Amino acid sequence: MTDTITFGQEISNLLYASEGEPLRTCIQCGTCSGTCPVAGYMDHTPRQIIAMINQNMKEQVLESNTFWYCASCYYCTVRCPQEINITELMYALKRYSIWKGHYQEGLIGPIFSEAFVKMIVSGGRSFEPVLAPSYIFSFSLREFIQEISGATELMLKGRLPILPARIERLDSFKRMIGRIIPMGGLE
Amino acid sequence: MTKKILMIDDDPDFVSGIKAILDKAGFEVEVAYNPKDGMQALQTKKYDLLLLDIMMGRGAEGIMIARKLRKDIKLRELPVLILTGMREQIAFLFPGEPVHPRFVEVDEMVEKPVEPKLLLEKINALIKTAEAKKAGK
Repeated sequence: MTDTITFGQEISNLLYASEGEPLRTCIQCGTCSGTCPVAGYMDHTPRQIIAMINQNMKEQVLESNTFWYCASCYYCTVRCPQEINITELMYALKRYSIWKGHYQEGLIGPIFSEAFVKMIVSGGRSFEPVLAPSYIFSFSLREFIQEISGATELMLKGRLPILPARIERLDSFKRMIGRIIPMGGLE
Repeated sequence: MTKKILMIDDDPDFVSGIKAILDKAGFEVEVAYNPKDGMQALQTKKYDLLLLDIMMGRGAEGIMIARKLRKDIKLRELPVLILTGMREQIAFLFPGEPVHPRFVEVDEMVEKPVEPKLLLEKINALIKTAEAKKAGK
Protein backbone atom coordinates (compact mmCIF):
# COMPACT_ATOMS: atom_id res chain seq x y z
CA MET A 1 0.00 0.00 0.00
CA THR A 2 1.42 3.37 -0.96
CA ASP A 3 2.28 5.80 1.77
CA THR A 4 0.08 8.62 0.57
CA ILE A 5 -2.31 9.19 -2.29
CA THR A 6 -2.63 11.88 -4.93
CA PHE A 7 -5.52 14.29 -5.42
CA GLY A 8 -6.53 12.30 -8.49
CA GLN A 9 -6.79 9.13 -6.40
CA GLU A 10 -8.69 10.99 -3.70
CA ILE A 11 -11.31 11.97 -6.24
CA SER A 12 -11.42 8.41 -7.59
CA ASN A 13 -12.06 7.21 -4.05
CA LEU A 14 -15.07 9.50 -3.89
CA LEU A 15 -16.28 7.70 -7.00
CA TYR A 16 -15.35 4.40 -5.47
CA ALA A 17 -18.47 2.67 -6.80
CA SER A 18 -16.79 2.74 -10.19
CA GLU A 19 -13.85 0.38 -10.57
CA GLY A 20 -10.31 1.74 -10.55
CA GLU A 21 -9.63 5.28 -11.64
CA PRO A 22 -12.20 6.08 -14.33
CA LEU A 23 -10.79 9.56 -14.97
CA ARG A 24 -7.54 8.03 -16.17
CA THR A 25 -9.39 6.59 -19.15
CA CYS A 26 -10.36 10.07 -20.39
CA ILE A 27 -9.14 10.63 -23.94
CA GLN A 28 -9.70 14.42 -23.81
CA CYS A 29 -12.04 14.35 -26.79
CA GLY A 30 -14.06 17.28 -25.43
CA THR A 31 -17.46 15.74 -26.12
CA CYS A 32 -18.53 16.58 -22.55
CA SER A 33 -17.54 20.24 -22.93
CA GLY A 34 -19.15 20.50 -26.34
CA THR A 35 -22.33 18.95 -24.97
CA CYS A 36 -22.57 20.85 -21.70
CA PRO A 37 -25.32 23.51 -21.78
CA VAL A 38 -23.66 25.58 -19.05
CA ALA A 39 -20.04 25.18 -20.16
CA GLY A 40 -20.07 28.82 -21.28
CA TYR A 41 -20.46 29.98 -17.68
CA MET A 42 -17.78 27.72 -16.23
CA ASP A 43 -14.20 28.79 -15.39
CA HIS A 44 -12.98 25.49 -16.80
CA THR A 45 -14.91 23.13 -19.04
CA PRO A 46 -15.55 19.57 -17.83
CA ARG A 47 -12.81 18.27 -20.12
CA GLN A 48 -10.33 20.70 -18.57
CA ILE A 49 -11.42 19.75 -15.05
CA ILE A 50 -10.75 16.07 -15.76
CA ALA A 51 -7.31 16.93 -17.17
CA MET A 52 -6.60 19.10 -14.12
CA ILE A 53 -7.58 16.32 -11.71
CA ASN A 54 -5.33 13.91 -13.56
CA GLN A 55 -2.51 16.41 -13.12
CA ASN A 56 -3.34 16.73 -9.39
CA MET A 57 -4.02 20.46 -9.62
CA LYS A 58 -6.00 20.43 -6.39
CA GLU A 59 -6.05 24.18 -5.65
CA GLN A 60 -7.14 25.18 -9.13
CA VAL A 61 -9.85 22.52 -9.24
CA LEU A 62 -11.34 23.51 -5.87
CA GLU A 63 -11.19 27.20 -6.77
CA SER A 64 -13.11 26.70 -10.00
CA ASN A 65 -16.87 27.13 -10.30
CA THR A 66 -17.27 24.27 -12.79
CA PHE A 67 -18.90 21.68 -10.56
CA TRP A 68 -21.13 24.26 -8.86
CA TYR A 69 -22.50 25.31 -12.24
CA CYS A 70 -23.23 21.74 -13.30
CA ALA A 71 -26.98 21.41 -13.81
CA SER A 72 -26.87 17.61 -13.51
CA CYS A 73 -28.51 17.09 -16.91
CA TYR A 74 -26.36 13.98 -17.46
CA TYR A 75 -25.86 14.77 -21.14
CA CYS A 76 -22.04 14.52 -20.84
CA THR A 77 -22.36 11.16 -19.10
CA VAL A 78 -24.65 9.84 -21.81
CA ARG A 79 -22.34 10.94 -24.60
CA CYS A 80 -18.92 10.14 -23.09
CA PRO A 81 -17.25 7.56 -25.40
CA GLN A 82 -15.23 6.25 -22.44
CA GLU A 83 -18.38 5.93 -20.32
CA ILE A 84 -17.03 8.13 -17.54
CA ASN A 85 -19.79 9.23 -15.19
CA ILE A 86 -18.96 12.93 -15.36
CA THR A 87 -22.07 14.08 -13.50
CA GLU A 88 -21.15 11.80 -10.61
CA LEU A 89 -17.70 13.39 -10.73
CA MET A 90 -19.26 16.85 -10.39
CA TYR A 91 -21.27 15.66 -7.36
CA ALA A 92 -18.10 14.16 -5.90
CA LEU A 93 -16.28 17.47 -6.29
CA LYS A 94 -19.15 19.31 -4.59
CA ARG A 95 -19.01 16.90 -1.64
CA TYR A 96 -15.26 17.13 -1.46
CA SER A 97 -15.18 20.92 -1.43
CA ILE A 98 -17.98 21.13 1.18
CA TRP A 99 -16.27 18.60 3.46
CA LYS A 100 -13.00 20.46 3.15
CA GLY A 101 -14.73 23.83 3.48
CA HIS A 102 -12.75 24.98 0.46
CA TYR A 103 -14.57 26.67 -2.41
CA GLN A 104 -14.56 29.82 -4.50
CA GLU A 105 -15.92 32.78 -2.57
CA GLY A 106 -19.20 34.36 -3.59
CA LEU A 107 -20.71 31.18 -5.02
CA ILE A 108 -24.39 30.52 -4.44
CA GLY A 109 -24.05 26.73 -4.70
CA PRO A 110 -22.55 25.82 -1.30
CA ILE A 111 -24.82 28.16 0.70
CA PHE A 112 -27.87 27.10 -1.25
CA SER A 113 -27.11 23.39 -0.74
CA GLU A 114 -26.69 23.91 2.96
CA ALA A 115 -29.96 25.84 3.28
CA PHE A 116 -31.75 23.23 1.18
CA VAL A 117 -30.54 20.19 3.13
CA LYS A 118 -31.30 21.87 6.45
CA MET A 119 -34.80 22.75 5.30
CA ILE A 120 -35.62 19.28 3.99
CA VAL A 121 -34.33 17.60 7.13
CA SER A 122 -36.37 19.83 9.44
CA GLY A 123 -39.65 20.05 7.52
CA GLY A 124 -39.54 17.34 4.88
CA ARG A 125 -40.45 19.77 2.12
CA SER A 126 -38.97 22.52 0.01
CA PHE A 127 -40.17 26.05 0.85
CA GLU A 128 -38.94 28.76 -1.51
CA PRO A 129 -39.06 31.84 0.78
CA VAL A 130 -36.48 30.20 3.08
CA LEU A 131 -34.20 29.40 0.15
CA ALA A 132 -34.40 32.83 -1.44
CA PRO A 133 -32.00 34.68 0.92
CA SER A 134 -29.18 32.33 -0.11
CA TYR A 135 -29.11 33.81 -3.61
CA ILE A 136 -31.35 36.86 -3.81
CA PHE A 137 -28.80 39.33 -2.43
CA SER A 138 -26.35 38.55 -5.19
CA PHE A 139 -28.88 39.90 -7.70
CA SER A 140 -28.85 43.40 -9.13
CA LEU A 141 -31.53 45.78 -7.81
CA ARG A 142 -33.71 45.30 -10.86
CA GLU A 143 -33.57 41.50 -10.67
CA PHE A 144 -34.18 41.72 -6.92
CA ILE A 145 -37.37 43.75 -7.37
CA GLN A 146 -38.47 41.46 -10.20
CA GLU A 147 -38.01 38.41 -7.99
CA ILE A 148 -39.90 40.00 -5.07
CA SER A 149 -42.80 41.18 -7.20
CA GLY A 150 -43.01 37.78 -8.87
CA ALA A 151 -43.14 36.08 -5.50
CA THR A 152 -45.77 38.52 -4.20
CA GLU A 153 -47.97 37.90 -7.21
CA LEU A 154 -47.67 34.14 -6.76
CA MET A 155 -48.53 34.49 -3.09
CA LEU A 156 -51.63 36.62 -3.82
CA LYS A 157 -52.81 33.97 -6.27
CA GLY A 158 -52.29 31.33 -3.63
CA ARG A 159 -49.54 29.54 -5.53
CA LEU A 160 -46.87 30.19 -2.92
CA PRO A 161 -47.68 29.28 0.68
CA ILE A 162 -46.96 31.88 3.35
CA LEU A 163 -46.15 29.25 5.95
CA PRO A 164 -43.94 26.26 5.13
CA ALA A 165 -45.80 23.01 4.58
CA ARG A 166 -44.86 20.06 6.74
CA ILE A 167 -45.17 16.48 5.69
CA GLU A 168 -47.26 14.02 7.62
CA ARG A 169 -45.47 11.76 10.08
CA LEU A 170 -42.36 13.93 10.18
CA ASP A 171 -40.94 11.71 12.94
CA SER A 172 -40.73 8.66 10.70
CA PHE A 173 -39.11 10.74 8.01
CA LYS A 174 -36.51 12.05 10.44
CA ARG A 175 -35.79 8.54 11.64
CA MET A 176 -35.24 7.52 8.03
CA ILE A 177 -32.82 10.40 7.50
CA GLY A 178 -31.09 9.46 10.75
CA ARG A 179 -30.42 6.00 9.34
CA ILE A 180 -28.54 7.50 6.42
CA ILE A 181 -26.67 10.43 7.90
CA PRO A 182 -25.16 10.68 11.36
CA MET A 183 -27.44 13.01 13.27
CA GLY A 184 -27.05 13.15 16.98
CA GLY A 185 -30.04 12.85 19.29
CA LEU A 186 -32.41 11.54 16.65
CA GLU A 187 -31.93 7.81 16.71
CA MET B 1 3.07 -8.70 20.02
CA THR B 2 2.47 -5.57 17.98
CA LYS B 3 -1.14 -4.59 17.65
CA LYS B 4 -2.54 -4.29 14.15
CA ILE B 5 -4.71 -1.29 13.38
CA LEU B 6 -6.69 -0.65 10.24
CA MET B 7 -7.47 2.95 9.35
CA ILE B 8 -10.22 3.76 6.88
CA ASP B 9 -10.08 7.43 5.96
CA ASP B 10 -10.14 9.28 2.66
CA ASP B 11 -8.05 12.24 3.75
CA PRO B 12 -4.38 11.54 2.93
CA ASP B 13 -3.05 14.44 5.03
CA PHE B 14 -4.95 13.37 8.13
CA VAL B 15 -3.97 9.74 7.56
CA SER B 16 -0.27 10.50 7.30
CA GLY B 17 -0.40 12.53 10.52
CA ILE B 18 -2.21 9.87 12.53
CA LYS B 19 -0.13 7.09 11.01
CA ALA B 20 3.07 8.83 12.14
CA ILE B 21 1.75 9.03 15.72
CA LEU B 22 0.70 5.39 15.76
CA ASP B 23 3.86 4.11 14.08
CA LYS B 24 5.92 5.87 16.70
CA ALA B 25 3.82 4.33 19.46
CA GLY B 26 4.66 0.88 18.09
CA PHE B 27 1.44 -0.04 16.34
CA GLU B 28 1.27 -1.69 12.95
CA VAL B 29 -0.98 0.48 10.84
CA GLU B 30 -2.63 -0.36 7.56
CA VAL B 31 -4.58 2.22 5.61
CA ALA B 32 -7.52 1.99 3.25
CA TYR B 33 -8.40 5.21 1.51
CA ASN B 34 -11.92 4.24 0.54
CA PRO B 35 -14.72 2.25 2.17
CA LYS B 36 -14.61 -0.50 -0.44
CA ASP B 37 -10.93 -1.32 0.10
CA GLY B 38 -11.53 -0.99 3.82
CA MET B 39 -14.33 -3.55 3.88
CA GLN B 40 -12.22 -5.92 1.82
CA ALA B 41 -9.28 -5.61 4.20
CA LEU B 42 -11.57 -6.20 7.20
CA GLN B 43 -12.92 -9.38 5.68
CA THR B 44 -9.59 -10.82 4.62
CA LYS B 45 -7.27 -9.88 7.48
CA LYS B 46 -7.38 -9.73 11.24
CA TYR B 47 -7.04 -6.47 13.12
CA ASP B 48 -7.03 -5.44 16.75
CA LEU B 49 -8.72 -2.09 16.18
CA LEU B 50 -10.41 -0.07 13.48
CA LEU B 51 -10.05 3.68 13.06
CA LEU B 52 -13.02 4.83 11.05
CA ASP B 53 -13.83 8.07 9.28
CA ILE B 54 -17.46 8.97 8.67
CA MET B 55 -17.71 11.13 5.58
CA MET B 56 -16.27 9.17 2.66
CA GLY B 57 -17.25 8.14 -0.84
CA ARG B 58 -20.83 9.09 -1.56
CA GLY B 59 -21.75 10.32 1.91
CA ALA B 60 -21.75 8.87 5.38
CA GLU B 61 -20.12 5.63 4.23
CA GLY B 62 -18.36 5.22 7.57
CA ILE B 63 -21.74 4.73 9.20
CA MET B 64 -22.57 2.05 6.66
CA ILE B 65 -19.36 0.21 7.54
CA ALA B 66 -20.10 0.46 11.27
CA ARG B 67 -23.58 -0.95 10.68
CA LYS B 68 -22.22 -3.81 8.60
CA LEU B 69 -19.75 -4.62 11.37
CA ARG B 70 -22.51 -4.70 13.94
CA LYS B 71 -24.29 -7.39 11.93
CA ASP B 72 -21.17 -9.44 11.24
CA ILE B 73 -20.65 -12.20 13.81
CA LYS B 74 -16.90 -12.32 13.28
CA LEU B 75 -16.31 -8.58 13.23
CA ARG B 76 -18.82 -7.58 15.90
CA GLU B 77 -16.20 -7.74 18.63
CA LEU B 78 -13.68 -5.59 16.79
CA PRO B 79 -13.21 -2.33 18.70
CA VAL B 80 -13.94 0.72 16.57
CA LEU B 81 -12.74 4.25 17.15
CA ILE B 82 -14.69 6.69 15.06
CA LEU B 83 -12.68 9.74 14.06
CA THR B 84 -14.73 12.48 12.52
CA GLY B 85 -14.41 16.15 11.78
CA MET B 86 -16.78 18.69 13.28
CA ARG B 87 -16.59 20.48 9.97
CA GLU B 88 -17.96 17.42 8.22
CA GLN B 89 -20.97 17.62 10.47
CA ILE B 90 -21.32 21.37 10.24
CA ALA B 91 -21.16 21.06 6.48
CA PHE B 92 -24.46 19.27 6.57
CA LEU B 93 -25.76 21.30 9.49
CA PHE B 94 -27.26 18.33 11.16
CA PRO B 95 -29.81 19.29 13.74
CA GLY B 96 -29.48 17.85 17.20
CA GLU B 97 -26.27 17.33 19.09
CA PRO B 98 -23.07 16.58 17.23
CA VAL B 99 -22.77 13.12 18.68
CA HIS B 100 -23.05 9.70 17.20
CA PRO B 101 -25.31 7.02 18.50
CA ARG B 102 -23.53 3.76 19.29
CA PHE B 103 -23.15 2.04 15.97
CA VAL B 104 -21.11 -0.90 17.13
CA GLU B 105 -21.20 -2.41 20.61
CA VAL B 106 -17.57 -1.59 21.22
CA ASP B 107 -17.05 1.81 19.76
CA GLU B 108 -16.04 5.26 20.73
CA MET B 109 -15.88 8.58 18.95
CA VAL B 110 -13.21 11.25 18.85
CA GLU B 111 -13.51 14.49 16.96
CA LYS B 112 -10.91 15.79 14.55
CA PRO B 113 -8.45 17.39 15.13
CA VAL B 114 -7.23 14.71 17.51
CA GLU B 115 -4.83 15.23 20.39
CA PRO B 116 -2.12 12.52 20.02
CA LYS B 117 -2.11 11.70 23.73
CA LEU B 118 -5.87 11.35 23.89
CA LEU B 119 -5.87 9.22 20.74
CA LEU B 120 -3.31 6.78 22.14
CA GLU B 121 -5.13 6.63 25.46
CA LYS B 122 -8.42 5.77 23.78
CA ILE B 123 -6.82 3.21 21.48
CA ASN B 124 -5.06 1.43 24.32
CA ALA B 125 -8.19 1.45 26.46
CA LEU B 126 -10.34 0.05 23.65
CA ILE B 127 -7.90 -2.74 22.82
CA LYS B 128 -7.55 -3.62 26.50
CA THR B 129 -11.31 -3.84 27.06
CA ALA B 130 -11.75 -5.93 23.95
CA GLU B 131 -9.02 -8.33 25.04
CA ALA B 132 -10.39 -8.61 28.56
CA LYS B 133 -13.78 -9.40 27.09
CA LYS B 134 -12.30 -12.06 24.85
CA ALA B 135 -10.36 -13.64 27.72
CA GLY B 136 -13.45 -13.63 29.90
CA LYS B 137 -15.40 -15.74 27.46
